[in-house]
Amino acid sequence: MDELSRRSFLRAASAALGGLGLTLEWPAIVAAADDAHHAKHGTDERQLSYLTRAEQAVVEAVAAQIIPTDSTPGAREAGVAFFIDRALASFLSRMAPSFRAELTQFQDACRTSHPAAESFAALTSEQQIAFLTSMEKTPFFRDMRMLTVLGMFAMPEYGGNRDGLGWKLLGFEDRHVFEPPFGYYDRDYPGFTLPPESAA
Amino acid sequence: MSLPKFKTSQLVDFAIVGSGAAGGVMARELSQAGFSVVLFEQGRRLAPASFEHDELKYWFLSGLTNDAVKNPQTFRDDASKRAERTTVRPALYYARTVGGSSLHYTANYWRFHEVDFDERSRLGPIAGTGFADWPISYADLEPYYTKVEWEIGVSGLAGASPFDPPRTKPYPMPPLPTKSSGVLFERGARKLGLHPFPAPMAINSQPYRGRPACVHCGFCHGFACEVMAKASSLTTVIPEAEATGRCELRSESYVTSIDTDKRGRATGVRYFDAERREQFQKARAVIVCANGGETPRLLLMSASSRFPNGLANSSGLVGKYLMFNYSARASAVFEHELNEYKSVQVSRIMHDFYDSDPKRGFYGGGGIDARIGPQPIVWAQRTADEGPSWGSAYKARLAEFPRTMTISAHGTSLPLESNNVTLDPELKDDWGMPAIRVTYKDHPDDLANARFLQERGAEILEAAGALRVTKAPVNPQTWSMHLLGTCRMGNDPATSVIDRYHRSHDVPNLFLCDGSSLVTSGRGQPTMTIQALAFRAAEHIAAFARRGEIASPS
Repeated sequence: MDELSRRSFLRAASAALGGLGLTLEWPAIVAAADDAHHAKHGTDERQLSYLTRAEQAVVEAVAAQIIPTDSTPGAREAGVAFFIDRALASFLSRMAPSFRAELTQFQDACRTSHPAAESFAALTSEQQIAFLTSMEKTPFFRDMRMLTVLGMFAMPEYGGNRDGLGWKLLGFEDRHVFEPPFGYYDRDYPGFTLPPESAA
Repeated sequence: MSLPKFKTSQLVDFAIVGSGAAGGVMARELSQAGFSVVLFEQGRRLAPASFEHDELKYWFLSGLTNDAVKNPQTFRDDASKRAERTTVRPALYYARTVGGSSLHYTANYWRFHEVDFDERSRLGPIAGTGFADWPISYADLEPYYTKVEWEIGVSGLAGASPFDPPRTKPYPMPPLPTKSSGVLFERGARKLGLHPFPAPMAINSQPYRGRPACVHCGFCHGFACEVMAKASSLTTVIPEAEATGRCELRSESYVTSIDTDKRGRATGVRYFDAERREQFQKARAVIVCANGGETPRLLLMSASSRFPNGLANSSGLVGKYLMFNYSARASAVFEHELNEYKSVQVSRIMHDFYDSDPKRGFYGGGGIDARIGPQPIVWAQRTADEGPSWGSAYKARLAEFPRTMTISAHGTSLPLESNNVTLDPELKDDWGMPAIRVTYKDHPDDLANARFLQERGAEILEAAGALRVTKAPVNPQTWSMHLLGTCRMGNDPATSVIDRYHRSHDVPNLFLCDGSSLVTSGRGQPTMTIQALAFRAAEHIAAFARRGEIASPS
């Protein structure tokens, strides 16, 4: 309760999840994490729990445009689509039906604008970017942005952030103990001294 | 040592409701003074070893906190509107577990200044507000601030800020290491002639009272400390209370009303136990430390034919004058790595703009600190809100994570009667009890002050050599973790709920002590003050009890 800027911190979190329009419930996560753990170490980690193959392909293509693969890995390599599938089957199950409905609308809109393409996933990257730009304000894209962030940066136990790829992108080191110096600027810091005017 | 287990039919000296920052202190002080105590907590008791670095769990899935499904609340910004149920998390957000919000706070422990207690006398009235002096002064509270620092454990450097109020003892531990954000903050602030100083934190910089030193993992803010270097009631005062053999911690016990007898005195508390069976614990006196949201709710839920507007509410002020504080943010990117995600959240603060200055054209003041940005998930979301939100440009911004720092400007909230906690007329919680309804709109001065402080923070970042500075929009608040002012302290029963000793004006054996007791908001970081109030109140309550005025040792 002490921390003031926790509010601004949470405001971001709140705005983010507010976009999902649904409440989350904690206990379901345990099952999800277990699931993901098994999946990660099981024989077929591509087995889907909620999404169809076709839906999963679209979700993955969208996530891969939100955090693209370039000289470093992106959402695709981090297994974000896998995370999203697991989340919808467990701790985000409350939002699953509305997410699927939004996804269907997204696919319909894509078919209307690109009748020849089999799906969004089959478009060229340029076409995908142009189409997503036109869809930026839709609930589906807003939800996808948040889910991509969750899948990219939540603990790998949840099924995304595979091999800590999300954390590597940030330069976040997953360690339990650190020692000073922590960064460049505190390396040669001589210690706190009162300026002469204060000491007077 | 065997922990006591009191029968509900047994008359205990004190039933304390809430095991957070204030309730934990109260339980320790009264049990050590020889009284029998049952400490009620609606949440579970969690083992420190179970605390994880799981951002999704604690920030998004109510791993420690009240949640919007089982403990729903409604919010509106104006009493003329219908309050809407909050979907992501409750508007008044707190850790719902043994130790309360002292578990997941950041542990910034600066003292309030003298001005916080008598500002109304210094500045005069502010029209349309409940701006008032406290019935106690900084000098009254100083010994208890010192007690908090030494009993709970605070790291800091006495005399480092020219604006610090007088103190009788130095800190028991030296400051925590200075982070890169602290070095840059100090550099920028001093260039501008300001006075940054090492942040006082309730986190061990060295082993203290049986708890280890901080290992700098970086997961304080919103997380509970698994190494116990960050002080919480769970790991400090509650075990000490239990060690007396006179305090029973009753977790998963949700108090829903305080009963009274024909004379209008409290007889004990009614609660749901872990199996959701209704129980009643008899007690000579009741102390409510349930937080600034739950304390007024409990009093309002305790309405009876004798007290139709709720218990201790003859003033009509129970739940009124809710204050959140305001925190405005500026962040900056630097050339080299800071790695702010490591170690404690704050290593430098300054109080140059603490006092209100009429020349600014609005009421308000605050503290400004240098701090970590959030951990990865929330940081990535915030980055999307403040710039490109997807694609290559977004990904490039994400990679700036180690080179980023944040400044938080913490400011005042004016007490307004229109900002309050009431019982929602329709919505019930998972136990069938009325949900909290929050009505809140920041006073224009609160927002003006927030923008002023944010601007000062941005100047510091520029002076420190930032490559790019971003100011977050200062929008009206719709929820908070600072839950203050809803059962204010005062000498006049017509304009306050409790007296200077935290005794309710209406019920002589009912005491309230937590964020709800505050008369003004301070400039943020209220936990230190809440605990000082609890140490002070406990001393007086024990004296009353010894004199037979409310209870006597059984």
